[in-house]
Amino acid sequence: MSVLPVSAGAGGRPLGEWNAAYAKVERYFYALQLRNKVVLGKLVLHVLDRAMERAAAEPNLTPTELAVEEMDRLIIKWFEEILGATPETKNMLPTRGRLALILADMPGRWQDQFLAPGPWPEEFVTAMREAYLRAGPEFQLARMDPRPLDLGPMGAIVELTQTRFLQVSVFSTWTLFILILIFIFIRTH
Amino acid sequence: MISEPETMPAAEAASRLILTPASPVVRGLRLFSLYSLAMFLTCFVSVFFADLLWRTGWSGSRTILLVLFFLLFFFAAIGFMHALYGFVLRRIDLVHRPASIQADDPIDPAANTAILFPIYNEDITRVYEGLRITYNSLKSAGQVERFDFFILSDSTDPEKWIEEEKAWQKLIQKTGGMSRIYYRRRVDNEGKKSGNIREFLSVWGQRYRYFITFDADSVMHGRTIVNLVNLMEANPASGLIQTVPGIFNARSLFGRMQQFSNRFYTPIFIRGLDHWSEGFANYWGHNAIIRTETFMKFCALPQLPGRKPFGGFILSHDFVEAALLLRENSQVWLAWQLDGSYEEGPPDMIENAKRDRRWCQGNLQHMMVLGARGLHGISRIHLVQGIFGYLASPLWLAFLVTFYWMWLLTSAIGLSQITVHSWMADLDLDAAAHAFLVFLLCMGVLLVPRVLAVIDAFFDHQRRQAFGGMAHILVGTIAETAFSTLHAPLQMLWHTRFVFTILRGKTIDWGTQTRTAEGNSWAYALRQHWWQTAIGLGWGGIILWFMPNTFFWFLPLFLGMALAIPLSVFTSRARWGDIAKDFGLFLTPEETSPPPELVALQTRLALAEQDEAAGPQIPHLIQSVVDPYLNAIHVSMLREAQLNPESAQALAKIGASGPDVKWIAEKLIVRGFDELRPDEKMIILSDADSMAWMHRQIWLRPETTLAPSWRQAISSYCT
Repeated sequence: MSVLPVSAGAGGRPLGEWNAAYAKVERYFYALQLRNKVVLGKLVLHVLDRAMERAAAEPNLTPTELAVEEMDRLIIKWFEEILGATPETKNMLPTRGRLALILADMPGRWQDQFLAPGPWPEEFVTAMREAYLRAGPEFQLARMDPRPLDLGPMGAIVELTQTRFLQVSVFSTWTLFILILIFIFIRTH
Repeated sequence: MISEPETMPAAEAASRLILTPASPVVRGLRLFSLYSLAMFLTCFVSVFFADLLWRTGWSGSRTILLVLFFLLFFFAAIGFMHALYGFVLRRIDLVHRPASIQADDPIDPAANTAILFPIYNEDITRVYEGLRITYNSLKSAGQVERFDFFILSDSTDPEKWIEEEKAWQKLIQKTGGMSRIYYRRRVDNEGKKSGNIREFLSVWGQRYRYFITFDADSVMHGRTIVNLVNLMEANPASGLIQTVPGIFNARSLFGRMQQFSNRFYTPIFIRGLDHWSEGFANYWGHNAIIRTETFMKFCALPQLPGRKPFGGFILSHDFVEAALLLRENSQVWLAWQLDGSYEEGPPDMIENAKRDRRWCQGNLQHMMVLGARGLHGISRIHLVQGIFGYLASPLWLAFLVTFYWMWLLTSAIGLSQITVHSWMADLDLDAAAHAFLVFLLCMGVLLVPRVLAVIDAFFDHQRRQAFGGMAHILVGTIAETAFSTLHAPLQMLWHTRFVFTILRGKTIDWGTQTRTAEGNSWAYALRQHWWQTAIGLGWGGIILWFMPNTFFWFLPLFLGMALAIPLSVFTSRARWGDIAKDFGLFLTPEETSPPPELVALQTRLALAEQDEAAGPQIPHLIQSVVDPYLNAIHVSMLREAQLNPESAQALAKIGASGPDVKWIAEKLIVRGFDELRPDEKMIILSDADSMAWMHRQIWLRPETTLAPSWRQAISSYCT
């Protein structure tokens, strides 16, 4: 890993653009909860180094675009190495890798191992490979079919009310209410 | 009765306690005696009341009044008899203590138990901290390996969904609960809570001999849970054992009074209830253990025929599930002896009313089930009591309206109140004294249970101390009674409104809740209570104008309504709750000697509150795309959901992986979440591949091409 050239125009681009690239890469690593400044600084510079190598040949991409692409490639390659990937699982690798990092507690215990070349501590590799989130244990599917419930007289009443003639509407409710009032009035006079 | 089998050695007997229901004859006699005494008391007082009505001349409205009085008094007398029975039985228990059901022996390794937390757009911090406390308590009891925890989310708010996943990952990291604490979210929430549990049972139920249902705010001690499992193990005929959750963690004045009321009065009622319902008790929906196989076989609820509010899914499923278990001769027990089971209550009158609105609809729906063939008679009693709990309010209102109408009519047509002699001439009472006697009898039925609870504490030193001493108990009971007197007419108006809106198939718009740090705002209380205040002032004014003699008899009624707004605001305030606590009022056993679990919960919740107050956070929806870990967790859970055929089908149904997803994802990147419709949000959040793709795109694309919300989120990650 070389040190970033101090002179302006590294890779033919202004230094200000590399500064923006640095910030973006650093933010992603920070989002991965890399808090060790030594590890963080070293990894960001490593990514920028690789981006600078491409900079002259790819003038249509900004340093930030180059840097984040390199970061992405680097991370995926590392996931491939540590987790082992089959062609079937390759498209799921980035997600699986990130999940493994948090479940294996990379931010808490293994920051120095992140993106480091192998061999890695056995405990870390095992934790990474076995990391898997599950919504529950193995399925044991069963059907829980509702048993019919004979509602008795209420069921019969409901069936009746399903007919158009007896459908309860606002109109019939109010009619009933008024009839009750009339009945009470007559009874009390 | 809970008893120890005589043939077992003492140590074994202590851990293998047998729940033996009373014989049908004994149970029948108990039931008959309690309800007959309630009926006798009702008839006795109703005769007095009828006599009083007779003295001013009989009329049709008096017939209506008497019928309403009879119904309402009978309901109150049932409660009174439960308290009286409970009080006497508790006195006997103190002398001849029944066998304790503490049985925290190691659990049989085959007795796997799932602990279920069905949630729906809840306060995640509160739910997960409650789970964490229960988990740690079981760990301390050394038996956590016999249990799996399931957070069963039915949340429909996408922000809540992501927050739940994020908090779950933190929870398993903090507790070491990987492969012990699970989280799954249903794509649709068909059948609501009962559907949620049914879906769990369909997928994993067969792995577990028992399951314990929790509410979102439930907490249970580890040893209580172990006891429940051991009780189920020792009693294969038991299908369900319900604990009696104590309310805890209240701060507002209203909450503290409810908490005191629950902890202080409930034991005598529950003891009375258990007397006749041994083995034929009820299920209250949470804090209960259930035998999985029996439940799966008999308790899959059908949809009720007809339209809402009575047709469709059974809302208050718990009563019906208990009834179905009893129908199949599976016992249902009330474990009133077990402590260490808790829940929280509503913090204010309005929240209390909102909860009542839900329960009211569920209980009214039980009218459909009441006549179902094959149900045990006791189940019908449980159902009727639930229904009448809400129908009592319109009946009470009808009673008052009839009473005043009758009097107003008499005044309006200029009839004088000439009274004739009483039927019971030996009493030699004038009409006013007669009316006062009826009034006293009614008050007695309502207030004696409170007095019995005080006497119960007077004779129980431990209990007395647990509630802060006799002086505090007395003042607390008087204050709580005064508040209940003012609150009761508001409940009457609310319940009446609920019953009528439900019958008309309408909903109630509660508006947006505006709470200050202390409690409800005045404006919010005004919006919720203005109609009650108006009724109270109007009604009270009319009575004062036309019938000043009766006004003061019913003053608490009008006062409760007229003062609804200040009462609501004042009792919602935590500050007044704290002051009451400082004066030693409304203390509960959990406050005078707090269990470590509850102390830990309160500490963690206070810390979480501080964290939340620390500053604004990036919305969880945005984090679900930008944050590398949260995105990975979310995508993994979606891929996991695809493995379940039913979930996969439901995901496809809402359009996840459909043709529109790529277009929605692109729109999301360029415009942000705010520009998406709710259904589009759910589609994109439900598509694993798009979520994974978007994470890379957000970080790879030039920031100038992204919506401002993404740029802001990326900027938030800085050293």
